[in-house]
Amino acid sequence: MNTAIHKLRLFRKCLIISLVLFSSSVFSANVTIHKNEISGLLTWSSEDNGFSIELIQLLPDFVRAIYAKHNFPKNEVERAASYCVFGTILKNTSDQHMSYYVKEWRYRTKDKTVKLMPVKTKSQWLEEWRKANIAFSWTLLPDIGEFEVGDWQQGFTTIKLPRETEFDLIYKWRLDGVLHSGVLENLKCAPESLAE
Amino acid sequence: MKFNSILYISALSLFGWSLSVSADWQQPELSHNLTKINKIIPASDFELQDMDEEPVRLSDYKGKVVLLNFWATWCPPCIREMPSMEHLQNKVESEKFKVIAINQMENPDDVFAFTGQLDVDPTFKILFDTSSQVSQDYAVRGLPTTYLIDKQGNIRYRAVGGREFDHPEVIKIIKQLAEE
Repeated sequence: MNTAIHKLRLFRKCLIISLVLFSSSVFSANVTIHKNEISGLLTWSSEDNGFSIELIQLLPDFVRAIYAKHNFPKNEVERAASYCVFGTILKNTSDQHMSYYVKEWRYRTKDKTVKLMPVKTKSQWLEEWRKANIAFSWTLLPDIGEFEVGDWQQGFTTIKLPRETEFDLIYKWRLDGVLHSGVLENLKCAPESLAE
Repeated sequence: MKFNSILYISALSLFGWSLSVSADWQQPELSHNLTKINKIIPASDFELQDMDEEPVRLSDYKGKVVLLNFWATWCPPCIREMPSMEHLQNKVESEKFKVIAINQMENPDDVFAFTGQLDVDPTFKILFDTSSQVSQDYAVRGLPTTYLIDKQGNIRYRAVGGREFDHPEVIKIIKQLAEE
């Protein structure tokens, strides 16, 4: 009995170790970081196996303005702005069918206080907005992308982290049905406002 | 409300600015690829109001090829592709082809003010999908999304993301559809 429990524990340990190894070794593709000379805001971009991803820091005031303009209640405007929001551009750079599902994406903080949390999806936001009697359904990155040649899309990615927190984003996509994954390391949430 | 508008326009400027400062680097180049739809999918008919609050139905355009574009003013690629839509409409005979741009959930007054700031003044139809019902009927997940509809009212091509619609390849496809 004890041997069986020991084997089970050993198996679980191996499984966890292999998951950790998998999640940290497959990725780290070529990442380009660009700093806007005027605003100081950062953009991260990477391209691998037909999938191009670009994340652009967005200031909370930009998020507030977008949703206030669409008549969101003040508390909902602030709730959206409390997230770490990135303008996200995804593109199929291959000559095959490419797809992604945001529900498969995860993030983790550099200090390990947050370990592999799921990225909030557009569907989750829309469900919350529906309960708040908000009909608006745009600006967020679609949960699912089914991209043919030349297709691309952009929208907000929202991460539940405080301002200026550093984290890694682990994302997945399928190229012609084959699963791929990548990581954007050391992403940083935008500050509350631009530096003077 | 007025404060919101000012903040919104400022934010749009900021966003546009943050994208455009290094536009060549950040924004993907607009391609002209259209995805051919292999199944025959009839385009859902709809009735929406135009800028003059006049009702417009898709079926009003039966017998013409229609480029049906879903867009919003806060969407940078939507804005980028607009001039090419205007050029496209001018390059194909109007009795054979029309461009219809369906705005998502925005105020006609704001859209009117917005179009006045574009380099190219759009003369194509802009309709207002105030509840996004039409975009749902067309399974639009993100903006911009564009469909090319043939004379019989079937969806023949699709494009997700911004495109250069006045490219000769696109014009060729439209002329072929118009001659069918």
